[in-house]
Amino acid sequence: MSVKYAPVLWNRNKYLYDAVLLAGVIGYIYLYTSVGPFYQDVTRPIDGAVLRMRAFGSCAFLMLTIILCIGPLARLDRRFLPLLYNRRHFGVLTAAVAAVHANYVLGWYFNFSPTDRYVALLSSNTSYGQVLGFPFETLGIAALLILFILAATSHDFWLSFLGAPLWKALHMLIYPAYAFVVLHVALGALQGPDDPVFTSVVAASVLLVGGLHFAAGRAEMAADNYQADASSEVEALEQGGWIVVCDVGEIESNRAKVVSVPGHDRVAVWKYKGKLSALSNACAHQNGPLGEGRIIDGAITCPWHGYQYQPEDGRSPAPFTEKISTYRLMLVGTTILLDPNPQAPGTYVEPVVIGEAS
Amino acid sequence: MSSQRDKPFFVGYLPIPKQLVAFLGVFAVCFVAGLGLAALALSSTQDDPGDGAFQWGAPFEETGFLELRPYPVFRTTGAEGGAPKTYMLTGQGKRGVFDQARENQGVAVTVRGVPVKRGDLTMVQVGGVTQVEDAEGAFDMSEPVPLGRWRLSGEICDGKCYAGAMRPGRGLAHKACADLCITGGIPPVFVSTGPVAGRNFFLMTDANGNVMGDEIKDLLALYVEIEGDVERLDDLLVFKADMDTARVLR
Repeated sequence: MSVKYAPVLWNRNKYLYDAVLLAGVIGYIYLYTSVGPFYQDVTRPIDGAVLRMRAFGSCAFLMLTIILCIGPLARLDRRFLPLLYNRRHFGVLTAAVAAVHANYVLGWYFNFSPTDRYVALLSSNTSYGQVLGFPFETLGIAALLILFILAATSHDFWLSFLGAPLWKALHMLIYPAYAFVVLHVALGALQGPDDPVFTSVVAASVLLVGGLHFAAGRAEMAADNYQADASSEVEALEQGGWIVVCDVGEIESNRAKVVSVPGHDRVAVWKYKGKLSALSNACAHQNGPLGEGRIIDGAITCPWHGYQYQPEDGRSPAPFTEKISTYRLMLVGTTILLDPNPQAPGTYVEPVVIGEAS
Repeated sequence: MSSQRDKPFFVGYLPIPKQLVAFLGVFAVCFVAGLGLAALALSSTQDDPGDGAFQWGAPFEETGFLELRPYPVFRTTGAEGGAPKTYMLTGQGKRGVFDQARENQGVAVTVRGVPVKRGDLTMVQVGGVTQVEDAEGAFDMSEPVPLGRWRLSGEICDGKCYAGAMRPGRGLAHKACADLCITGGIPPVFVSTGPVAGRNFFLMTDANGNVMGDEIKDLLALYVEIEGDVERLDDLLVFKADMDTARVLR
């Protein structure tokens, strides 16, 4: 949360995050280029440029794999949420590592020729009509361009300028980028001499990313399926468009229950101080899952980056200016019902007092 | 999801909850160690690129004739009465030496350069060519000897990178580079999985003995099978590939 833009709003946790990240990447490159060669079974050493391009390329692939695992991991186990906090730095560093890989490729395979290296990159292999021998470099270029766009627009300025939904949609391009990278590797490096280790690493990475997303999706679907024992009054309200959320006893204090609203965004129903309030589940910052957060010091706190909102009106505490939609609630017996029509962001809605129902 | 409720809640700008410190510490160690192990595993299992390399410590300087067959080759009678030799030639970088070969055809020359050697394949990266006076007629170059028609399976590479200018200098990752080299005038070679007259590499020409055209572009770096006539030119084998018979095996 901020009221002005700065390149990076540093804090101790970000320093720690980046230190671990850099240690991992620097260690990887050092071990790959300086220690691994001692154990290679080769007649003569592999060219240094080739070794470095392989080191940076494989590092970028693994980094991208880890980035894509963070989201579902954090949904499945909240202890992984800190990994998500500074994921943008992870992404920017991945783009930089991938760019170094591309630079080595340009400076080696496409250099020393009468043809300009950038022209050569696009013109030397044009076998687009075949799978084997396909110009896999093009797939790498596409992935790199996406990574550059995502890195360049990762700052909160672009988030504010584009708006959270568009920004998030733009950053979902990370998935096509990963697909391009996997194809880039599958049609390039994996078509070389048999390399069971790299093949296994790539296959395991793809399975891990796919498996975690599948598991997180299943967990979310299971949480959505709530069946209430409806009374006649509740049934009448449902027919009037209200949605049954859950029994009031199901929500712990200072926590939320997330409910899917057909045709609308998800809504988080919060329980606090003997009251209930409903707000959009999407944080105004990066559309993070607010309902997986907590109420801290009376404010709903997003699990991703700690953005806060007042439960009654969906506004960030002054001097911050973020605001999200609010919703009307009703309590019938112990059943919570939601009016799925959102109020304008920042609109005050009187909280429902739980009273004896709790 | 209810088990998630009791887990500590992390807020980025607040101190890390005590219950999370150990978990995150273990994760950080696993992250760094895991990447390190992956680096060692991937780096130490690289495929052997072979023994090809520039022979910087053994500069080449011999006298003979430059010919176009159809790529520039340098033919010598062999040092001190040895067997005659034919060397494939390359220029600096990804350039051939067609101009120098044309300018000096039919006259004796001394070629200086750096050998690029892989096994019994030697290509010379030409540094300089000087004509030798009063040497005409001193060389009696043999004509190519036909070795019959062969069906060969293997890979089309550029002669320079395969010889050792790059390690590795073959394979699909190297396809675009091979294309640039051949387009720049470096002779293509066919690297066969089985030997012909004890050799596994061949200077490639088309079926009529002319320079290869764009028909090899899509086949570069793939495992292919091609029929054609094989000729011996001193110690160099030439494969006159009939590209109509070419097919990709894998």
